[in-house]
Amino acid sequence: MESLLEINNLKTHFRTRDGWVHAVDGVSFNIAPGEKLGVVGESGCGKSVTALSIMRLVQRPPGEIVDGSILFGGQDLLDISESSMRKVRGKQIGMIFQDPLNSLNPVMTIGNQITEVLELHLGLRGQAARNRTVELLREVGIPEAEKRLHSYPHQFSGGMRQRVMIAMALACRPQLIIADEPTTALDVTVQAQILELINSISTEYKSAVMLITHDLGVVAGMTDRVVVMYAGNVIEMAPTDELFANPRHPYTLGLLASVPRLDEERQDMLTPIEGSPPDLLHPPQGCRFAPRCLFVTNQCKNPPPLRNVGSNHIAACWYDINNPAEQQRAEARRAARLRQLEQLDATAQTIVASTLDEQTTAN
Amino acid sequence: MSSTSQQVIPPSLPEGESLDFLTLTPQLARKRRSQLRIIADRFVRNRIAVVGMVVLAIITLATIFAPFLTHASAVDPDPSIKLDLNNIFGAPSLLHPLGTDELGRDELARILYGGRVSLLVGISSMAVALLFGIGIGTFAGYYGGLLDNLLMRFTDVILAIPLYLLLFVLSASFSNGSVLNVVFLIAIFGWTYTARLVRGEFLALKEREFVLAARTLGATNMRLMLRHILPNAAGPIIVNATLLVGANIILESVLSFFGFGIQIPLASWGSMVATARDYFLEDPILVWAPGLCILIVVLSFNLMGDGLRDALDPYLTER
Repeated sequence: MESLLEINNLKTHFRTRDGWVHAVDGVSFNIAPGEKLGVVGESGCGKSVTALSIMRLVQRPPGEIVDGSILFGGQDLLDISESSMRKVRGKQIGMIFQDPLNSLNPVMTIGNQITEVLELHLGLRGQAARNRTVELLREVGIPEAEKRLHSYPHQFSGGMRQRVMIAMALACRPQLIIADEPTTALDVTVQAQILELINSISTEYKSAVMLITHDLGVVAGMTDRVVVMYAGNVIEMAPTDELFANPRHPYTLGLLASVPRLDEERQDMLTPIEGSPPDLLHPPQGCRFAPRCLFVTNQCKNPPPLRNVGSNHIAACWYDINNPAEQQRAEARRAARLRQLEQLDATAQTIVASTLDEQTTAN
Repeated sequence: MSSTSQQVIPPSLPEGESLDFLTLTPQLARKRRSQLRIIADRFVRNRIAVVGMVVLAIITLATIFAPFLTHASAVDPDPSIKLDLNNIFGAPSLLHPLGTDELGRDELARILYGGRVSLLVGISSMAVALLFGIGIGTFAGYYGGLLDNLLMRFTDVILAIPLYLLLFVLSASFSNGSVLNVVFLIAIFGWTYTARLVRGEFLALKEREFVLAARTLGATNMRLMLRHILPNAAGPIIVNATLLVGANIILESVLSFFGFGIQIPLASWGSMVATARDYFLEDPILVWAPGLCILIVVLSFNLMGDGLRDALDPYLTER
């Protein structure tokens, strides 16, 4: 199928005092019309910067899109003028932010903020704009929409504000909605409602969704396909079910293992991924996940290419982590690490004990 | 996740029970005041600021309705310039509540008509200065970088000029003493503080997420500046405007006192003090009356400004 959005080798870097930070470093993926794509990864792996690059709203300086192309409906968004880009924003691509309190203008009424979008892109004014605003507010589930037009954001709860944001993002029936962690700032009961709303309304409007999140549960619930990002790179991409059933990159495996599960007996500890994401000022040569990887070998000094590992399933790893031999290797390494930790722990305890002893004798 | 989409159907109630208690409690209803109402409530709680506002309202109304408060007539529409050389330095009487001046003019009428000029100059030079200051501050703060640097260094230069000296020189060389001239002279120097203030507000506000959100909706720079950011800076700007009026009235008085401001036949409080100081021993009211007027009006503007500052402070929550 023809892609709605096609990102090729996107590189967005930020200049800092210490040098260039490679926040997004060669990202490629595509979204089909009406498709719901999840983008997951730890904080700081380049998810939001990718989204802002698509909107061409990376602040420059310090940011700069140094390479790549972003084809939207066949047109490269990086080539068009700022005024044509403004017509894309809000009209063809809508965006929902993480924190609905800060994303609404505190001194403008809800009604005026939604009307503004209609006025900008559809030329709706006066009564027509008002009617459509009320209609939109109803669609996103705000009761007594007419009365609420004159409310200010601070008079709304977090969930209601996010509903307003959704109404604004969807006001012009965009072909693509970018939701950047839309539920992170909301409490759990509201999260489900908001996700369901985004899901149902985008289905109704036939809009594609790019859902950015670090919550795998969110992705499992509503996306067709998932892109996993790590340190500014795409490291795995697969249909959602396939990714959860058969992760093919050690990082994805680690992410899935670190999620607490209700349907299995609880282990003593959760299994976190050891270490932290690399410094993007000086990303490691070769595979960027290598320093934290249990499967690592000398081969990982060379950057692994994204390769096909199944139907529609690509991953950037030299190894087949389903191979029992590889798994044994990883298991052995994990055991060795655990032993190391235990030893450290034991040493620490002896030191503490002896210090305490000394103190008691001194007293 | 499908379970969340199901409509919640409220259970039917048993006889005699109602869900009235679920509606707004009086406490909640009271909390749902409009923004303006909250600000007004906070302002009213500050008694001194309210006194300032009331005094200002009375004085402003008195100057506007001056013809009805003095002995104006169709033949003689402006009693403040009616001479009566038989009654110079007249003592206060029913006909002339504040007596008469060195040319036999009614002092009350002169105060009221002079107040018109003083207030008009103060307020309109504030408006001009505000317009200028907001314009410069907006562009400097929003665009930053080189433009910001240029505009702010220009502001610094203006601030570094000895204000009174240059004002005297400028008015001596260019001004013909009309109200319009004096307004612009004062405004030329009044905008600097506003510009700095607005720039500071913009620097902080443009980084806020709602500005980015508005950008993703396709708003232009102009719209972002004027519709999204500027209204958020309204509080400090209003306070600044109030204090600016007081400062401008003083500045005008000083100019007029030294003869560089409003010229005869117009009079302002400042120029009245200037003329009257020659007759201080004969009739001290002539100095005291306009002088006290300046004091009271400027004080009232400042008290009101302080009250507004507290009332508009966004960090004070609904109380």
